[in-house]
Amino acid sequence: MDHPHPISLSLTKEHPFVDTYLSKPDYYHLFTLRTWEDGEPGMPKIALIVASERLDKLFPAITLATTAAISGWEAELFFTFWGLLALKKGYEPSEVSLDYQAYQDRLKEAIASGSMPGWRTVLEQGVATGRVKIYACSSSLGMFGMTAGDLEEYVDSVAGAATFLGRAKDAEVTLFVS
Amino acid sequence: MKADVTVDATFQTCPGPLIALAEAVSRAAPGQVVKLLATDPAAPSDVTEWSTGTGHKLLEITRDGDVYEIYIEVSG
Repeated sequence: MDHPHPISLSLTKEHPFVDTYLSKPDYYHLFTLRTWEDGEPGMPKIALIVASERLDKLFPAITLATTAAISGWEAELFFTFWGLLALKKGYEPSEVSLDYQAYQDRLKEAIASGSMPGWRTVLEQGVATGRVKIYACSSSLGMFGMTAGDLEEYVDSVAGAATFLGRAKDAEVTLFVS
Repeated sequence: MKADVTVDATFQTCPGPLIALAEAVSRAAPGQVVKLLATDPAAPSDVTEWSTGTGHKLLEITRDGDVYEIYIEVSG
């Protein structure tokens, strides 16, 4: 399959530094622009498995998903095991992984100051594009004694591994975040 | 360069500037120019990639001290 960003990729490789971009403003006019209609074949897709509700896992996963969505990509997120807790109504993930506890206050300060948007805000902005799909793992739901009614409104459906595989098989980017 | 809309995302880190830009662009009319102010060092390359994928035209990137000024023309 032809990659939809041939010019952009070569630009990135040849001109990796910001100052190089700035010194060649005329280069921008060489860009080939490309847009996708929602659901059009060839629309790039990212598929993420989110298996932890720790903030150091949620932030990068949600950042990638929403950035993809506002860039015209589809994003499929499968929340499984402890990641599922992030979708529980009334539950607010607040901890980073044990390895990174020393940085927890820095993260919270960055969020409180407004320099870093909160993960839920970012997720909702992605969902608002209509291109982010959120699946809740069915077996994890049972493990935590939850039902579909316990999940946030923006969850699209409860699903199993086969559903995720089906949705992820044509994704250009697939990541397991835990 | 003259802008119809200015978005100030200075001192916001990734993905704040791009989200702010995308929101402003979604509200703007085709042909309008949106100016993004950002201090995130990733903003020039991120907006360049974003514009290529979405079809909104990147007009110019300038820098005033630590602040990038990034101009986008909204596509139809």
